[in-house]
Amino acid sequence: MDFVSNKARQQIEMLADIGVGSFEELLSSIPKQLLKPAPKIDDGLSEAEGFAFMEKIADQNGYLSLDSYLGAGAYSHHIPAIVGAITSRSEFMTAYTPYQAEASQGLLQVLFEYQTAICRLTGMDAANASVYDGASACAEACLMAVRSASSASPKIALSSGLHPLYRRVVEQYLIGNAIEIDTFGPDVQELKDDYAGVLVQSPNFFGSLERLPKLNSGVKILCGNPLSYGLYTPPGDKGADIAVGDLQPLGLPLSFGGPYAGYMACKESFIRKLPGRIAGKTVDAEGKPGFVLTLQAREQHIRREKATSNICTNQALSTLASLVTILWYGPEGLKNLALTNYRRAHYLYKALLKLPGFRPFSKGDFFNEFTVELPCSAEEALEKFRNEGIEPGLPLSRFYPEMKRHLLVAVTELKDKNKLDLYIEIARKL
Amino acid sequence: MSETIFQKSQIGQHAYSLPKEDSAWMDEMPSKEELRSMLPLPEISELDLMRHFIGLSRRSIGIDNCLIPLGSCTMKYNPRINELCAQLAGFAKTHPLAEDTLVQGNLSLIYSFIQILSEITGMEGGTLVPNAGAQGEFVGVRMIDAYHKAKGDLKRKEFLIPDSAHGTNPATAALAGFSIRSIKTNPEGDLDLESLQSALSERVAGLMLTNPNTLGLFSKQILTIASLVHEAGGLLYYDGANLNPILEIARPGEMGFDVMHINLHKTFSTPHGGGGPGSGPVLCNAKLKPFLPVPRVEKKGSQFITVWNDTSSIGGIASFYGNFGIYLRAYLYAILHGKFGLRKIAEQSILNANYLKCKLKTLLKIPYPQPCMHEFVAQVEEGSIRAADIAKRILDYGFYAPTVYFPLIVKEGFLIEPAESESKRTLDQFIEALRQIMEEVKTSPETVKTAPHHMPVKRLDETRAAKEPILVEKNI
Repeated sequence: MDFVSNKARQQIEMLADIGVGSFEELLSSIPKQLLKPAPKIDDGLSEAEGFAFMEKIADQNGYLSLDSYLGAGAYSHHIPAIVGAITSRSEFMTAYTPYQAEASQGLLQVLFEYQTAICRLTGMDAANASVYDGASACAEACLMAVRSASSASPKIALSSGLHPLYRRVVEQYLIGNAIEIDTFGPDVQELKDDYAGVLVQSPNFFGSLERLPKLNSGVKILCGNPLSYGLYTPPGDKGADIAVGDLQPLGLPLSFGGPYAGYMACKESFIRKLPGRIAGKTVDAEGKPGFVLTLQAREQHIRREKATSNICTNQALSTLASLVTILWYGPEGLKNLALTNYRRAHYLYKALLKLPGFRPFSKGDFFNEFTVELPCSAEEALEKFRNEGIEPGLPLSRFYPEMKRHLLVAVTELKDKNKLDLYIEIARKL
Repeated sequence: MSETIFQKSQIGQHAYSLPKEDSAWMDEMPSKEELRSMLPLPEISELDLMRHFIGLSRRSIGIDNCLIPLGSCTMKYNPRINELCAQLAGFAKTHPLAEDTLVQGNLSLIYSFIQILSEITGMEGGTLVPNAGAQGEFVGVRMIDAYHKAKGDLKRKEFLIPDSAHGTNPATAALAGFSIRSIKTNPEGDLDLESLQSALSERVAGLMLTNPNTLGLFSKQILTIASLVHEAGGLLYYDGANLNPILEIARPGEMGFDVMHINLHKTFSTPHGGGGPGSGPVLCNAKLKPFLPVPRVEKKGSQFITVWNDTSSIGGIASFYGNFGIYLRAYLYAILHGKFGLRKIAEQSILNANYLKCKLKTLLKIPYPQPCMHEFVAQVEEGSIRAADIAKRILDYGFYAPTVYFPLIVKEGFLIEPAESESKRTLDQFIEALRQIMEEVKTSPETVKTAPHHMPVKRLDETRAAKEPILVEKNI
């Protein structure tokens, strides 16, 4: 099947209007040896066949038969039903980037409201309209720090608690400009060297809360789960200059890793160093308020190689999903959602630590995800849990081969007491 | 302007509900000093929330509402069957770090879509991980860099980019640490070979090229360009933003390109979402395959496995597998069409563009009169009316405006792309609208200069927005 509206009748009329005898005449600029012959046999599918085909592929994912405690940057939360109803509106879903502001006021206002919501959540002054994901948000924030640096050979310091998959994207984005990267442990209180920027993730990859170290100079970047700021002191109140992270916990399905969206918010003095699209408020010719894409002199379509980033398409529709989710919960709901995540995770954690052979990994507190050392290898545990229909968490040996007995466990509002107690029962038999 | 949601708060109202707490964990609380003070978000009921956003949607337009002839953006119909499939729980609820054995369906989809895209583009392999076209460009440029370095060729620090290129090309090469040399366009709209030859040297890592280019023209000299660049030791990057009109007609691999990206949110119909999420797979030939980013999906016997680390790879580029929920839609789009249907897409996009170009000849200046591919440039005769004025007036006639002032080498220009899904009737209506507007330019130019008149707002002051930026709602 196809979605081409014009059929033979219109095609003949159009060719006649153009004044060519055949369609092939329109291809005259393509060198002959490059031209492919037109396929003769229709090898496409009908809509029904296509749907059945996709259903079959989806059914090959056995993951759904397990009750999963996987997190590590992607969490299973309830998505309010209103989210899909709004994001599937044609006027949002099928719109282009709002280049013609007057015709795209609704979309621009969405971006403006998203920027406002994320600033209020993180305690920051300004935000862009998103980057791709949590990893690219970290990378772009480090690049902002480098652009703000006075040193000719700026360095970046990353916490060892940063998600290893984020870290390698940061490395990817910094390598082109030969930026040196140092690493510091979670217990470091102060960094003596001069850095253009320092990045801490809290809760970090292992689930633990982490603090920004004291710095001589340099930009402080805090990466965090935005849901945790329903409960915890936001980055803006903790001295961070830039707050980044992934919006996935707020209204975005797991969807095998994407589409999610990276949020980026900053203090006032960094506004003109932000990458990507930004919506702003202005007035029209009659003085009435309206919205436009603004500060475009930072962007690739104007500044080309001098732009603050190469980003063009971002994750606009994902930010709409997160905005609606934030508003659906509201101030009280976000706090209670974060709190119930905290409580359920702590219930499980404390129960596990009472079992023989289970040991803590970190001294500090955590939000809704924790690392625990098992009495056996994670591989062994995984098998026993799966036999009971549970995917108990992420074996950390996948990222740190020496951590053979460590499991990273995420608990959200979707885990009720029965589920958690079943988990504990199976753990008791390890 | 409608009020922002932050101005609609009513104390004590809310939409949310949560699963009940259990006495077993009610005492768990973070330490007091970790807790935030108030969270300044509005308090809104679900109905008011719904009405707010439906109200906003009515002040916006997408391809479901009208023609969006934005050049180089390929705004085509977004089939709803794609949306339906993306919502299947088997896709939407799978975790990106689930073990390979638990997500064989997803991995097989990734594997076979890379095969399909390789076949369409004449390449040997690729990755679906890049999240959008610009990130795909970055991956491609990093792979070219890695290729030269692996050969011990450390001098290649320049990228050549045509003056008609998309802005992402120079921005990407700069991000990857290259300096940029701009290559001129010749009077026929093709790359200027003299300009290219004089720029080529042992310092050049590669050339980034769009073909058809941003004037909508297929480069007659492409094979010569490719051999010149290769002879100088450089590689060729294909910017796939304009892939739509060559589907099953010509393949970048055979043109001599070494690596490329595809914008699935253009050619493969995934919804643009008002600015994303997109998806920008990268395809490459055999010599660049070792440098592809991770994770990679491989087939071992009948099983699919994910390779997360590989020493020859340039490394990671996204948090996980990229925008899976987007490229699964594109995959379905590809298999619904088959090669037969893909060719139809290309042919009709070319036919639509040439029809529109031919009909607009009497209304606008057409600087490159030869047949075009999927898009073309048109200019406003120099005078008091600017292209931006006409663009704003087009909105009043119920269409989105074409791209204006791009490519930068065309003064007072439009870049117009009517994708293949548009019908002749829609194109005829657009032509009639432009005829009336050009008449207005003669009879009542003020109407055009002060447009739009029928939008929710009059012309907006962009200068003021940038000078005194207001980026968040201050009222609480």
